[in-house]
Amino acid sequence: MKKIYHKKKASGIRTFLLILAITFNPLLTDLFAQINPTSKEKVQQLTKYEGIITDQNGDVIPGVSIVKKGTTTGTVSDFNGKFSLFANEGELIECSFIGFASHEIILGPTTMLSIVLKEDILGLDEVVVIGYGVSKKRDLTGATSNISSKDFNSGAITNPLQQISGRAAGVNITQVGSEPGSSPNIRIRGITSLIGGNDPLVVVDGIQGNLDLLSQIPPSEIESIDILKDASSTAIYGSRGAPGVIIVTTKKSKEGETYVEYNGTLSVDFLADKLEIFNAEEWREQANIWGVPNSEDHGSDTDWYDLLTQTGFTQNHSVSFGGGANNFNYRASVSAILQKGIVINSSNNNYIARIQATQKAMNGKLQLTINVNTNIRKNEGSPSNVGRAAFSSNLITNAYVSRPTDPVLFEDGTYYSDENVFQYINPYAVAETIVNENETHNLFGSLRADLELAKGLTVGWFGNWRKVDLNSGYYAPVASTLTSAIDNSGIANVTTNLTDEKLMDISLNYKTSFGKHKLGAMAVYEWQRQAYQGHFAQSRGFINDITTYNALQLGSISEALQGDVSSYKNDRKTVSFLGRTNYSYSDKYLLTASIRRDGSSVFGANHKWGTFPSISGAWRISEEQFLKNQTIITNLKLRIGYGVTGNQQGLSPQQSSQLVGESGTTYFNGDLITNYDVTQNANKDLRWETRYQTNLGIDFGLFRGNLNGTLDVYTATTKNLLFNYTVPQPPYPYNSIVANVGSLKNKGVELSLEYRMINTKDMSLTVGGNVSLTSNKVIELSGSVDGIDVNTDYVSWGYNSYLVEGKSIGTFNILENKGKDETNSEVVVDRNNDGVIDQGDQSADRYFAGSVLPKYTYAFTPALRYKNFDLSMVWCGSGGNKIYNKIKKDFSLFENLGKSNLLKSSVESGLYTSDYGSDLWLEDGDYLRFENLTIGYTINTDQLKYVNSIRLSVTGNNLALFTKYSGLDPELNLSGGNGSGYDAGIYPRTRSFSVGLNVIF
Amino acid sequence: MNKISIISLFIMVLFFSCTDVEENVYDKYNAVEFYASSEGANAALASVYAQIAGNWDGVGYAGADNGWYDLNSMSADEQVVPHRNTGDWQLDFARLYLREWLPSDLIVTNAWNWLYKSVYLANLAIEQLEVADATPSKIAEVKVLRAFFYYLLIDDYGNVPFYTENNMSVDQIPQASRKEVFNFVVSELTDNIDQLLSTKGGDYYGRFNKWAGYALLAKVYLNAEVYTGTAMWDECIEACEKVSEGGFELHSGAADDSNPLGSQYYELFGDVCPDDETILAIYTTVDVVGRNIFSIRSLGGTDGTLLLGYSSWNGSVVPQDYIEKFDDNDIRKRQFRYGTNPYGPQPAGFIEYSLEITNLDNPGADRNAGARNIKFWPAEPMNSGGASNDFPIFRYADILLMKAECMVRTGNAGGAKTYVDQVRERVGLNALANDPTLEDIYNERGFELSWEGHRRQDMIRFGTFTKAHGMAPAVDNHFKLFPIPTSALNANTNLTQNPGY
Repeated sequence: MKKIYHKKKASGIRTFLLILAITFNPLLTDLFAQINPTSKEKVQQLTKYEGIITDQNGDVIPGVSIVKKGTTTGTVSDFNGKFSLFANEGELIECSFIGFASHEIILGPTTMLSIVLKEDILGLDEVVVIGYGVSKKRDLTGATSNISSKDFNSGAITNPLQQISGRAAGVNITQVGSEPGSSPNIRIRGITSLIGGNDPLVVVDGIQGNLDLLSQIPPSEIESIDILKDASSTAIYGSRGAPGVIIVTTKKSKEGETYVEYNGTLSVDFLADKLEIFNAEEWREQANIWGVPNSEDHGSDTDWYDLLTQTGFTQNHSVSFGGGANNFNYRASVSAILQKGIVINSSNNNYIARIQATQKAMNGKLQLTINVNTNIRKNEGSPSNVGRAAFSSNLITNAYVSRPTDPVLFEDGTYYSDENVFQYINPYAVAETIVNENETHNLFGSLRADLELAKGLTVGWFGNWRKVDLNSGYYAPVASTLTSAIDNSGIANVTTNLTDEKLMDISLNYKTSFGKHKLGAMAVYEWQRQAYQGHFAQSRGFINDITTYNALQLGSISEALQGDVSSYKNDRKTVSFLGRTNYSYSDKYLLTASIRRDGSSVFGANHKWGTFPSISGAWRISEEQFLKNQTIITNLKLRIGYGVTGNQQGLSPQQSSQLVGESGTTYFNGDLITNYDVTQNANKDLRWETRYQTNLGIDFGLFRGNLNGTLDVYTATTKNLLFNYTVPQPPYPYNSIVANVGSLKNKGVELSLEYRMINTKDMSLTVGGNVSLTSNKVIELSGSVDGIDVNTDYVSWGYNSYLVEGKSIGTFNILENKGKDETNSEVVVDRNNDGVIDQGDQSADRYFAGSVLPKYTYAFTPALRYKNFDLSMVWCGSGGNKIYNKIKKDFSLFENLGKSNLLKSSVESGLYTSDYGSDLWLEDGDYLRFENLTIGYTINTDQLKYVNSIRLSVTGNNLALFTKYSGLDPELNLSGGNGSGYDAGIYPRTRSFSVGLNVIF
Repeated sequence: MNKISIISLFIMVLFFSCTDVEENVYDKYNAVEFYASSEGANAALASVYAQIAGNWDGVGYAGADNGWYDLNSMSADEQVVPHRNTGDWQLDFARLYLREWLPSDLIVTNAWNWLYKSVYLANLAIEQLEVADATPSKIAEVKVLRAFFYYLLIDDYGNVPFYTENNMSVDQIPQASRKEVFNFVVSELTDNIDQLLSTKGGDYYGRFNKWAGYALLAKVYLNAEVYTGTAMWDECIEACEKVSEGGFELHSGAADDSNPLGSQYYELFGDVCPDDETILAIYTTVDVVGRNIFSIRSLGGTDGTLLLGYSSWNGSVVPQDYIEKFDDNDIRKRQFRYGTNPYGPQPAGFIEYSLEITNLDNPGADRNAGARNIKFWPAEPMNSGGASNDFPIFRYADILLMKAECMVRTGNAGGAKTYVDQVRERVGLNALANDPTLEDIYNERGFELSWEGHRRQDMIRFGTFTKAHGMAPAVDNHFKLFPIPTSALNANTNLTQNPGY
């Protein structure tokens, strides 16, 4: 049986290996000496060695690099594991392949070699990507999580983050609902900033971007995802490193192979759960009890939720092909991710094409890599925020609002609406008549050039350019029943947003070794510019709905308003100098230090440049003599690191200066004129947030490497915390100012473990899991801005959740329910006994009741392989947080029964009215989800001529949810950002079943 | 190795040449440069006026909701938005009417923030107009505007932070006493009013001319006793007489079938406030400049569709006791819509509102409880977010009643009678049988100026504000001042809260 290894984490990393090999080629000659004709003559004097490379089971391994140690001269094993090489007797040859321990042999007189590579169970020789470079796992000194494609979650994957959900400790990936095109949330080591942005920096093959960059690469084309967690790893990204860094490496081809691969999944998506609301009969029964007049019963029996939902369908198709010859390799792919949502008229279709090629020149001293990626994404959906004045949410949640006794249509066939209800909306009419679509065109390309100047010294140039064009169109006709549409006799608009991001860097790398000392150094100059530009046009007053948003000129010009036409442009520039040095002694003691200096246009005039240093070290205890004579500990490494990182993503351009912009229209001197107004409180001291983080970690491998684990403990303090601090009005024109004043602190422990219980040729069973504990505290929100004391505290941060000094972010400060009075009105505890219930933010009637942030998250990922079958599961959960169930409050008060439907659970509480948002609606947010079950079967293809491998799989997603939370799903926005921790209605989470096929030719 | 040196040198040069991180601004103006230009200085003046039209988020003097107007009108006896037993409407408005407000209340905070943003813009405009060497009348105009905002501040909040230059830190801004600010307002007005243009209407519509300046000064004097303890009735009469020099007269109250309420009187509250009587108006065109929600907020949902073509809000109502004081022959009573035969259009299916309101908060009022007010019968363009009626801040009928009040208070009731009678006769009432008493004046102000934002101030001056009325029980005297908002106290610890809060 032949095995195909290029599904493993090989190809992407191999390119880097080769770059490394070239980069650090210790040739003595200078650049041009290589072309010296004498070197060709030498070749003729060499002996031809041939060989075959197999694993311990005797299966051949293609793609193994066979290199004369210390040179770039070498070859790669072919599809049958065979290779040939001209060399001299006595030369040292090194064979290396990802997933296997590298193997060295001294060439003897035998010219037929049979080399057996041992599986590298500990993965210490694995090359992982770190900021601006790569490192062997054994040499890492910082806290990182490295996930390769063989460990990715499978199923109906629409975003790369779904592939690593639950796979890394301290990396919390959450998905709120299953709306087509919506991206998961990711937080690395919790929340580090209030308004400064908590999304990690994303780096895809060297291209830096925000999280949206991830939705522009096909999940199936990713080779590995490396996550930099602690500051000693991320400080190299300076003022963008604080929230962590996700590095994505895409698949690349190897020399000596050609292939065509198809990857596809088809998935059927069902509603996982729905809230229990009254049907028409039950509504009437309750209406009788609560004295709702008969006039509110419009005689129908409508299941609005059913009307607005359907069975969803998700397809992924990806065709990729590639190949490699000497000095050249390429890979190209086309992918389509097509989603039809479970809410009617919602869909997202994403088409991605990419090509990547590498060429070597100048006898291997120059390597050029080009990468081009383009995608087109079309999204259709309902407006994200609609409703009555008293309740607005996404469209599907409005299905709870509509009375089950309301008809969908009037007798004349038009959509039903009830004017006795303020701003009544008919959600079915909204879904059917509103046009809300957008299309994103994304293109990015990059070129990397690395040139070896001398032994160990490489200079590199890297440039990338990314353009994102977003075009969207919206039309709301009168028939939609939306007030805004009726008021405007139809309203249409088109929006164009253009993003242009460029990055260029020049790097110098040097690596040397002498005796037991190894030294590496790197210096980089980097320049980036991100420009944002766009325009918006709107028209109102249409005589019919035929053209939707396609002919704005058909609207009525007399209804045009200031703001119906607008455009904007702004940009940000960052210039950086950075350097890093690695030193190791005897491969036992490792030291890494880095420094970065960033200057950015978004910083205020008084703080244009910031410096971000880091230092970390590691001790590979298992390499010490005193641990050599035992068998329990195979690997033991102690790491410690400290670093300073920054966060500038929360600073938008033009935020530090006093600027004047448009502020509507005013009437002056007999004319309607544009009104100008200062746009904000200026702050010349505006700067990045600074995060100081210390990390202590242990990596261990026990029992011959069958039990592996990593334990990290960290503490991180964010200072110069960006926030909208309250300033006195007067003298400020606005009552808040964006400034760097307060501080936050995070502490955490992360443990990940993997235990190989069985590992034989026919069967393997691995049990993995991780758990993270995080605690968080707002240290202070007070200080001084411009010499003025600011006292910011008890800042509202969601429904009843606050930022309070000394407490966790999003601490609930809430009134306590005390039952109800004889009028069925809610009564709350008057904690300060003053006879008045004060609902102000700092009211003494409120009490602290937990936080919106989960205290712990965990995941459990067992995997089983038996012969050709494989099975894997992902279970994950979190807890320790509270959720304010706003939906339950909104649909539990019987005073609303006359104009709305209610939850069945409202019968138990029997509340008629409530003036409060009390802890009656506060619930525990703990949950455990059976997220993924995949069963795969690899078909034996030995008899098939053109097929190398076929794998079939079935996956179930979101198969079970264990929680006490009474709402739809406790996996809500738990990011800790403003507005997190409550349930105001979500797009439903789906339960999906998919079949997958992977064929390689 | 030479090549390496050359490359290194090249890289070094690159390092130092590409370190520019200055910010470029493409789509806004730099504030300093903009306001230094003459267009900018004019824009600064216009932006102060832009503060006055009412709009969403509780900004503006009148026209929209949750701002200065609701604070000063709903805390009086003339209107309230009850919570409905259909679950509609938050309690904020009912709590204003019942005098249960707290320093943390939204409307209390909105009015404060709006007024201080206005003072900031006025300071800015004065500074920039002086820099730009603008005509003195323009500078005088902004100073009068700033005096107007400070007058509103002391009227609502008492002792308030006082500053006239923006470039100050908060510790340089004292909480001045009501009397100090009062003195500033008076001196600022007396220094500047005569520099204002005397043009009426036209390009000057909606701007502070000389007559509006005196009307403001008269208002300040009228309430001097409340603000300082010392009455200034004679000064008020004098200022009212100055206003009269502007040649104002009462607008006609003649019958007019084309008006939904059947009288030209209601043109005062229509699309454009007529020049003959209006001294200072707020220009309004819905969604363009401000909005006027007063009728749309009041009418029930289906009534809005029947009467106006847009579903309305079923919000504000007029308390029964307030309406019952009106004479049935009073044209002004037509503004209230209730019962089976209301004045104005009666399309099939119109709502018959009950005059009685049994409950304001829990369980709330019935859907159709409470008389509605259509004084500001919606002017086109309109939609369910408001109409385009302009709003009179000062009008001549008010000045006549102010003058009459001062005369009664200074013992000249006989002289006052003619002014009160003018106001009464215009709306189809008889002249008073006797010389007016203070109570006559108080009631007449209620009839004439209902829903125009003067009622709280009048009630305080006449001593009725904290007494029981309608559904509101009597409350402590400290409610005569609104509390300084909690957010302002937190941001500036030097401030002292008003007594009783």
